[in-house]
Amino acid sequence: MKTRPPKPQTMRDALYEAPGPRTRKRIALGTAVSAVLVLLGAAAVVWQFYVTGQLSARYWSFFLQWTTWRFLLQGLLGTVQVAATAGVIALVLGLLLMLGRTSGVRPLAAACRVVTDFFRGVPSLLLIYFFFLVVPQYGVKMPSFWMLTLPVALAASGVLAEVFRAGVNAVPRGQVEAAKSIGLSPARTMFKIVLPQAVRYVIPSLIAQLVVVVKDTTVAYVVSYPDLMQNARVLITRYDALVSMYLVVAVVYILINYAINRASVYVAHRTGVKIIR
Amino acid sequence: MQSATEKGTPVIELRHVEKHFGDLHVLRDVNLAVGRGEVLVVVGPSGSGKSTMCRTINRLETIDSGEILIEGEPLPQEGRELARMRAELGMVFQQFNLFAHMTVLDNVTLGPRDVLGVPREEAERQAMELLERVGVAEQAHKVPAQLSGGQQQRAAIARSLAMRPKAMMFDEPTSALDPEMINEVLDVMVELAREGMTMVVVTHEMSFARRVADRVVFMADGQIVEEGSPDEFFDHPRSQRARDFLDSIRGH
Repeated sequence: MKTRPPKPQTMRDALYEAPGPRTRKRIALGTAVSAVLVLLGAAAVVWQFYVTGQLSARYWSFFLQWTTWRFLLQGLLGTVQVAATAGVIALVLGLLLMLGRTSGVRPLAAACRVVTDFFRGVPSLLLIYFFFLVVPQYGVKMPSFWMLTLPVALAASGVLAEVFRAGVNAVPRGQVEAAKSIGLSPARTMFKIVLPQAVRYVIPSLIAQLVVVVKDTTVAYVVSYPDLMQNARVLITRYDALVSMYLVVAVVYILINYAINRASVYVAHRTGVKIIR
Repeated sequence: MQSATEKGTPVIELRHVEKHFGDLHVLRDVNLAVGRGEVLVVVGPSGSGKSTMCRTINRLETIDSGEILIEGEPLPQEGRELARMRAELGMVFQQFNLFAHMTVLDNVTLGPRDVLGVPREEAERQAMELLERVGVAEQAHKVPAQLSGGQQQRAAIARSLAMRPKAMMFDEPTSALDPEMINEVLDVMVELAREGMTMVVVTHEMSFARRVADRVVFMADGQIVEEGSPDEFFDHPRSQRARDFLDSIRGH
């Protein structure tokens, strides 16, 4: 076994040398001071809520009713359906765009490049307006699910194509040469040697992009698709409870994306990719 | 083959091969023939074009002009024919280039299964025999990163051998190894040479060259400057370039 220096486990280890006694004292002091500041800040926020009446029971009591949660969960289900479908479409399309772009067939590569750059450059909201306002004018009737899912997927596919390409570029040239030297065809080299390694390199970026997909679905209100955000808006109007509802919904989104992040760390560990936290 | 001379058609033949990297003339009128069972060792200073020459033989590097013949047939330029030809020529790299995401066993069986269509069990049986032979059978189910450099290179040799090649090219196979691991790889190569494998070996290991080579080729500035038996070359180099080169590596 070759001995290598241990890989850094945290961002601190990666960037700085191990602290000496004086630095340790300074770190301890900094930790104490910042903890106090954070507590003060949190207290100020709560106090502000209190004096403006946001903590009064009428803004929170409806969270005790099952119907509220059922409605929110229906919205959550909608969000998950759109995000999952859009994520799968974006992964497949992104992969195809990358394969086209790196195929070496000039017209195909140029076309894929233009498409990639287009979807990457255009805001997803603009794409949604296109599917919502322009496409129906040409007689294409689409349920609101697809009017939301397709543009979100397309926007993400542009980015994912680039992520995949970065991964493919990161695979050492020697891997391809070795594959060629045992007589593997270009297609098999790509699918058996290059892609499996490329995907491992970019798993963290892929997952990060899935988080973006989840957040992109929040513009569902444009096409009146009942996702978590849209249902929350309905409840806000009904109970006239803006701040409390947005706080709860924000927490739900944070939990979803935290779960995705944990999943990415798990997958990365399983496949042996080291992630610096 | 009946009417051929004693050595028969050369397994590998280069005729008037020329290659440029931009302005750099890396191969100048290279002519070379490697007979069946011959062990040809290519030596020379860095940048002399010896690795490039080795890599042109299975078209990992293209050539500008000239001809490369494998058993008298021109080296195919692309497609299935090229892939088939490559499958018949083993190549061992300086950096091992084992497939990083596969176990050692899968590295060795991939070619036979995917290219030659050998059934899985048969391929694995043969692979284990080969891994046994190069002494890394115990590592068969590990991934390359868990192996030492010497073990990786021996596994890489097994991967090439699994294709039952007509000839093997070794492109500086020990240059990336820690000193204590060089011999375990060279031992495998000596064994191969003894079994009659046709070999082209680019190396800096002069003792290996002297011991195993049937013929030594000395390259400098993209040209074959001198060739001969190991004794001729190491004891009585004819050219000044070769004398300077041998002096520089014998400095101590």
